[in-house]
Amino acid sequence: MQRAAKCALRLDLSRAFCLEVNVNVCMLKSLPPPRDEEEKAMLDSMLRVDHAGEYGANRIYAGQMAVLGRTRTGPLIQYMWDQEKMHLEKFNEILGEHRVRPTLLLPLWNIAGFALGMILTRIEGTMSCTVAVEESISEHYNSQIQTLMEAEPERYTELLQVMLLKNFVMMKKKNRDTGLEHDAESVPGYLLLKTVIQVDCKAAIYILQRI
Amino acid sequence: SFALLHVAVQGTVSLQCSNVRRGFHRAALLRLASDSKSDTSVPPPSYHEVHTAGESSSSSAQGESSEDAQPNTSFQDQSGEHGEDYETEEQLQARILTAALEFVPQHGWTVEAIAAAAETLGLSSASTGMFNNGAGDLVLHFVAQCNAQLAETLAEQNNQVQLGQAEAKKTAEFLKDAVETRLRMLIPYIDTWPQAMSILLLPHNIPDSLKHLSTMVDDIWYYAGDRSTDVNWYTRRAALTGIYNTTELVMVQDSSPDFEETWAFLDNRIKDVVNMANTAKQVQATGEAVVQGLMGAAITLKNLTGMNQRR
Repeated sequence: MQRAAKCALRLDLSRAFCLEVNVNVCMLKSLPPPRDEEEKAMLDSMLRVDHAGEYGANRIYAGQMAVLGRTRTGPLIQYMWDQEKMHLEKFNEILGEHRVRPTLLLPLWNIAGFALGMILTRIEGTMSCTVAVEESISEHYNSQIQTLMEAEPERYTELLQVMLLKNFVMMKKKNRDTGLEHDAESVPGYLLLKTVIQVDCKAAIYILQRI
Repeated sequence: SFALLHVAVQGTVSLQCSNVRRGFHRAALLRLASDSKSDTSVPPPSYHEVHTAGESSSSSAQGESSEDAQPNTSFQDQSGEHGEDYETEEQLQARILTAALEFVPQHGWTVEAIAAAAETLGLSSASTGMFNNGAGDLVLHFVAQCNAQLAETLAEQNNQVQLGQAEAKKTAEFLKDAVETRLRMLIPYIDTWPQAMSILLLPHNIPDSLKHLSTMVDDIWYYAGDRSTDVNWYTRRAALTGIYNTTELVMVQDSSPDFEETWAFLDNRIKDVVNMANTAKQVQATGEAVVQGLMGAAITLKNLTGMNQRR
């Protein structure tokens, strides 16, 4: 029962943070038009990866709902899914406005995300997968933020705000999850699972930036 | 002496590629500066001068910013005085290529057309050495120019629609008009266009020609209002690329007045694509309805046989 209570606490916190991120994503009006080929290419790949990430998150939640839709956590997952849908819509707008090519692997991502969502509901009990995934994505956002800051922080203030906030949210979640992670470490093969997931995330990000 | 120069060009070009050309380029540029200053005809650079220019630039093979040695010091003062009129390399190349388009009906898409244009601009015909790709540069320049013109026209139309001065066209009509506008730009050069197409298909030109083609197709769809961010982005652009290429091929061997057959062909192809898109949507909707129906039937069956009851 203690674990269930911890689950509920974590989901509640996630809900609160999701709302914060949502407000800022919706406030992202537009990016400055790119100055030259290089900048366009950099922005293109960043937006492409982020869009693919939102799309994937959407499908993962869809997969989770398909399994847990009728249980106690159903409404909560539905709520978080709706938040992600809003993010995705915003990113769709940005992509269309800036004529960024969406990734070619979207159909694959569609199926993979859904399957991953369904699998996660099995292993979600120990939170280990989510922690590993969020660590990778946090690292990815960090490197994007670094790139933007190195280029010219003033031009990308809004985009940076959104990324920093998302990163902050994930790091906060991670801190609160540390307690839960200790539980997870007792599961055999946890380290192997974590490494596999993190390598997968890195590979996915690398591919999505290019294709 | 021009023949000697021509032979010299061929000889050195076959030995050293881009370094020599850069030397020529600088010589040509500085000749432009000096030509417009002096009315008397400047004697063409001797073989020695050409070779020195080539050698001095090949000895400093670092990059564009390498400084040349002696041949240019006498010209530097003149080009310095020309400060405001001095144009960049790209601008000069663009000017020559645009002028060369006039000579295409006569010489075809070849280096001769470029040379003829260079002469009308007051440059020596050796300035064709500036163009590493020769005829390819000319064709790619023309394609880029046409695409830019098309983008301008589409943006202008879009503007008018936004301002409410014109009605928005339906997708099929918009695509037809855009492709027709673009293809009509080929009409003045239609006799020599097959030669241009084959130049574009040369392996070293394919990346550039594909880039131009994909930019053009993206432009057309953007102004047609496509903002899709899923697989449709790819299928639509692939379809339009196919339509454009096949219509271009039909146009090249069309002999009807004002290319009526070409436009009829284009119309039919666009109708085909639109029909296919509609059919695909219908199939998907039907499929979903069928699945729903089957699931309903399954649940009914479970109810009938009492399997849905809780015990």
